[in-house]
Amino acid sequence: MILKKEFIHIIRDTITLSLVLAMPIALVLLFGFTISTDIRNAKISVLDQSMDTQSKALVDRLSASGYFQVVSYPNNELEIDNDFKNKDIKLALIIPPNFEESLSKESTVTLQVINDVSDLNVASILNNYVRAVVQGYASDYNDQITKSTSSFDITVKMLYNPESNSVYMFVPGIITLIMVLVTALLSSITLAREKETGTMRMLLITPVKKLYIIIGKVIPYMIISFISTIAILVISVTVFKMPINGSLLMLLFLCIIFMLTAASFGMLISSISRTQVDAMMITMMGLFLPTVLLSGFLFPLNSMPMVFQVLANIFPAKWFIMAIKDVMIKGSGFFDIWLYLAILFGMAVVFIIFSISRLDKRN
Amino acid sequence: MYSIEANQLTKQFGDFTAVDHICFEVREGEIFGFLGANGAGKTTAIKMMSGLLLPTSGTAMIAGYDIRTQSKLIKRNIGYMSQKFSLYGDLTVFENMQLFGTIYKIPRKELKERIMDSLRELDMEKQANTLVDSIPLGWKQKLAFATAILHRPKIVFLDEPTSGVDPIVRREFWKLIYLAASKGVTILVTTHYMDEAEYCNRISIMAEGQIKLIGTPGELKQQMGVDTINDVFVKFVKR
Repeated sequence: MILKKEFIHIIRDTITLSLVLAMPIALVLLFGFTISTDIRNAKISVLDQSMDTQSKALVDRLSASGYFQVVSYPNNELEIDNDFKNKDIKLALIIPPNFEESLSKESTVTLQVINDVSDLNVASILNNYVRAVVQGYASDYNDQITKSTSSFDITVKMLYNPESNSVYMFVPGIITLIMVLVTALLSSITLAREKETGTMRMLLITPVKKLYIIIGKVIPYMIISFISTIAILVISVTVFKMPINGSLLMLLFLCIIFMLTAASFGMLISSISRTQVDAMMITMMGLFLPTVLLSGFLFPLNSMPMVFQVLANIFPAKWFIMAIKDVMIKGSGFFDIWLYLAILFGMAVVFIIFSISRLDKRN
Repeated sequence: MYSIEANQLTKQFGDFTAVDHICFEVREGEIFGFLGANGAGKTTAIKMMSGLLLPTSGTAMIAGYDIRTQSKLIKRNIGYMSQKFSLYGDLTVFENMQLFGTIYKIPRKELKERIMDSLRELDMEKQANTLVDSIPLGWKQKLAFATAILHRPKIVFLDEPTSGVDPIVRREFWKLIYLAASKGVTILVTTHYMDEAEYCNRISIMAEGQIKLIGTPGELKQQMGVDTINDVFVKFVKR
């Protein structure tokens, strides 16, 4: 009954409802297109000092990769400098003289890359691209002449995300954010609203079980958040070509468990806050910010000070992101991620028990 | 047979004693007024009697059940309406009554009949499908009362049910209270309006967590040698 009432609340509140359903889609598109760290057609210059077949093949390969667009062929290093200033190139490649010859004779050939490091991120991404292209070239070359040389022995191994496609990293993060935002924020506000209007006391005075009150509030928001999640997945797969390597069922199951955790965290927050504003502030500061900062979504966890790495463990988002990345990118199954699932579920149970025990204290 | 029997009922919050060893009885079908300034302990006392709060010491029997051990049975047998209007504004009149009726496990068909009956009593049949937010406050309060007695409780707690309502609606509201009392429902009401206190069968005046005066309005007026309950209250506060 409380379930039904909660649905009516949500459906009658059309502004919130449309916001909740439209926001995730807008967010995914926004993140996917704007915060994308992929670089396409970066302008580069190539100073080719040998001008032989192999050096040309390498340059062709760079242009064909789609990452680079060779805009000029300077004749000396001074001209490269000018290209950086005038032609807005991001990177210059210098191929040493007698390239072909050294390839066949020497064990190591040195290519020089000059970067515009005014944007550190772009520079390091482009460097990786160059490495990847050169390495691909080297292995093909070695295959061709059927003898093993150690030329260009750059061992950059890019697992799971060979294109370093940033959408792969962002989609799990966005799903997490949306679910935290929709489930935790909304469910925390709804309970706090009942406290504010006094209807909570009405409910508590009736013989209805507290567990039912909580469950009745959690489920509708889980369903809405589930719809959002599916929308995000559809967009990620169709628009951003995000692969789902694991089983879809596993993925959805994982999402449901996380939604339960997020919603019960919301309940916990509203059980300690008195007004909707309180609930909103606590969710933002206490849950949303840590989710963004400490989940490993934007900032890698293992480069953080130990204190924060430990702290991150108490937020459900970290575990969920690890699990969802495993499922979506690595294709992990239940037995690979059961520990994460167990942790998330355990957290949900603890949150719910705690919020039930807090429920009557404030009333 | 008493509906409410409070015996040395006490609630402390830290060092502060909100309710201090109160003892009183209310008979079945009686309208009992709970008077006192804000912070006198009325609301805390009601919370304990309705099973929301455990007393620090002492006890009370509500409809024959012990508030310490039988709060679940008490919840089934009481109704409650608070000073803050407490129905859902974004649900219709009918949906609100249906929600609370269902929580008390009234069978669906009977519930519908009861709702229609009580709406007829309130002369609000036409508003059954109106959102509660869009009806006037006075009507909302009457509706809240009707909802609180929908499951036919033995006792109804009314916590300042008429605050902010105009005199005409207040009179209508008291008609509803009398109607319920005539059917044997015990009513415990807190109020700020001293004229309303005159409507009660018996009243008590609380201060500093204690019941300072108790009796029928007539007795109290006689005791203090004044003509109205308002004067009783003023004289009492000055004392």
